[in-house]
Amino acid sequence: MNSMAVPFSFARTSLIAGNTFLEAVRQRLFLFLVLLAVALVAGARFFHEFDFGPDGGVPELKFLFDFGLGALIFFGSTLTITATAQLFFSEIENRTALTLLAKPVWRAEFVFGKFLGAWAVVGVFCALLTGLLAVLLWFRTGAILAANPGAFLHGGRIGLGDIAIVCGLQWLKFGVLAMMTLLVSSFSGTNLFSVVMGFFVLVICHLQAFAHQAYTRVEASSVALGLMIETLARVFPDFQFFNLADKVGTEAGLDAGLALRVAAYALAYILVFGFLAVFSFRRREI
Amino acid sequence: MTTAAEASVPAAAPSSGAPVAIDLCGVTKDFPVGLRGLKLRAVDNLSLAVPAGQVFGLLGPNGSGKSTTIKIVLGLLEPTAGTCRVVGVPSAQVESRRNVGYLPEAPYFYRYLSGAELVRFYARVCGVPRQRLDARVREVLDWVGLTGAAARRVGTYSKGMLQRVGLAQALVHDPRLVILDEPTAGVDPAGSAEISSMILRLKSEGRTVLITSHLLAQIEDVCDRIAILDRGRLILEGAVAELVGRRDRQALIVEALPPGELAELRVWLAARGRALESVEQPRARLDEIFLREVARAGDGRKEAGP
Ligand SMILES: Nc1ncnc2c1ncn2[C@@H]1O[C@H](COP(=O)(O)OP(=O)(O)OP(=O)(O)O)[C@@H](O)[C@H]1O
Ligand SMILES: [Mg+2]
Repeated sequence: MNSMAVPFSFARTSLIAGNTFLEAVRQRLFLFLVLLAVALVAGARFFHEFDFGPDGGVPELKFLFDFGLGALIFFGSTLTITATAQLFFSEIENRTALTLLAKPVWRAEFVFGKFLGAWAVVGVFCALLTGLLAVLLWFRTGAILAANPGAFLHGGRIGLGDIAIVCGLQWLKFGVLAMMTLLVSSFSGTNLFSVVMGFFVLVICHLQAFAHQAYTRVEASSVALGLMIETLARVFPDFQFFNLADKVGTEAGLDAGLALRVAAYALAYILVFGFLAVFSFRRREI
Repeated sequence: MTTAAEASVPAAAPSSGAPVAIDLCGVTKDFPVGLRGLKLRAVDNLSLAVPAGQVFGLLGPNGSGKSTTIKIVLGLLEPTAGTCRVVGVPSAQVESRRNVGYLPEAPYFYRYLSGAELVRFYARVCGVPRQRLDARVREVLDWVGLTGAAARRVGTYSKGMLQRVGLAQALVHDPRLVILDEPTAGVDPAGSAEISSMILRLKSEGRTVLITSHLLAQIEDVCDRIAILDRGRLILEGAVAELVGRRDRQALIVEALPPGELAELRVWLAARGRALESVEQPRARLDEIFLREVARAGDGRKEAGP
């Protein structure tokens, strides 16, 4: 009667993910998006009052885009770390993980389910903010063209596709960040520790490339420091990699091949950190 | 799945041939406490076999390691030493939980789901087929008497209602082994009686039930076998029928014995040097045994010294 094995199931994983997503929705986690949207629209109107000079159309659009992307990156990172840690620890602290893991559920299904649920929350956030940014840019482009039909003769239009790719890559980056937060949570005892470590990791991932560059340029410093920076660069993903915004609005435009490579880079890190998280969570006592 | 032979295991001591639902062998569990590597032994070299098809009661004072034992059985905790198997499968494997329903102590569930959504979620996790899902969820909610509150958020449930919805999720996938950690805690007397009859029905369907409870009268009514733990150690195990019957006394149950014949019986007994002590049925309650055994274990510890 026990010869039937229980294989890893994507259906169960997505059930857990769906339940995690539902928790975020029912806790009104998305309400703050409305506030953010209002702030973004107000900000855009505010920049509109700036003087961008006689050929102001192109720099204004670029400014608006950078502003929106900045908001996406800042609030998205914050949301990723806090939501992932919170959605994970609500199961541990409320002891609902006890009931769930007493079912025929693999620890891997639990970890990836939690990850996918949190990532979906961040995905909705990114999609809504990206949509809003696209609409704002589209309106401004129309208005600028109406005032000056030759405004974009030398490029500078920001296409919908480019916006989607840049923001989509940010979402992939948030996936890596979410998995790293989950990896910390898999052995951390408290939500707070996970959140603090999550931000710490975020900073390392953003700065390690600079440190690496600076170090290779100077070359003279100690061997120990060099080894440490080298290790950091190997272990932590480089979040600067995901920043393709500089290429948007230029004449060359976005390189789709590069975007694909960055996406593959993100997915590889998600899988590697995912397996590490499962490994560390496998023997955790619930 | 389970054969009829498995369901009709006699309620007496498990013979070596009887199928065993849960098999604990020398299980010890230490929890690290404090900073200096101090250890707390929650379960101490526990060997126990729960026969299939029976209702097994795990008793003991607070903190004696009942819930810890159950978590080891479910693979939620890893034993420091010893092995645990559920229907022959080691507890560490996911397969061992394929046919198990579990009600945790003081259960707490996703507050943001309604009662029906919650039971449905667990049913789907356990792989209840889609076409039977709705009917099954309605059925178990009806069993536990929550039909009226099924649409309400679990966050608004009272303690006893949480216990009831916990029972519903433990039974929704029709498990062969049901593990209930204090199912009656916080449940009203009528609900307790319903839970008792539900346990007996599960047994009549050939399922195995492992239950912990501090309501010893209920344990006595529903359990075939019991084990008493004290500070993680097994201090008594046996069939309830044998434990509550007393071997140094006999009760003769006679229908409507006339007073004259009773007097004759006394004379007859007196002639053989025996006295008829009482005409009531002597019956030790399980709680007496429980308290006596725990006290004896405590005395033993004192004598043994620290
Ligand atoms: N995670 C843990 N860390 C440290 N100690 C623990 C942990 N879980 C349980 N214990 C300790 O193990 C012992 C046994 O606890 P357990 O919950 O198994 O008792 P119990 O028999 O279920 O008691 P109750 O009747 O109160 O439910 C207790 O002393 C408890 O403090
Ligand atoms: Mg307990």
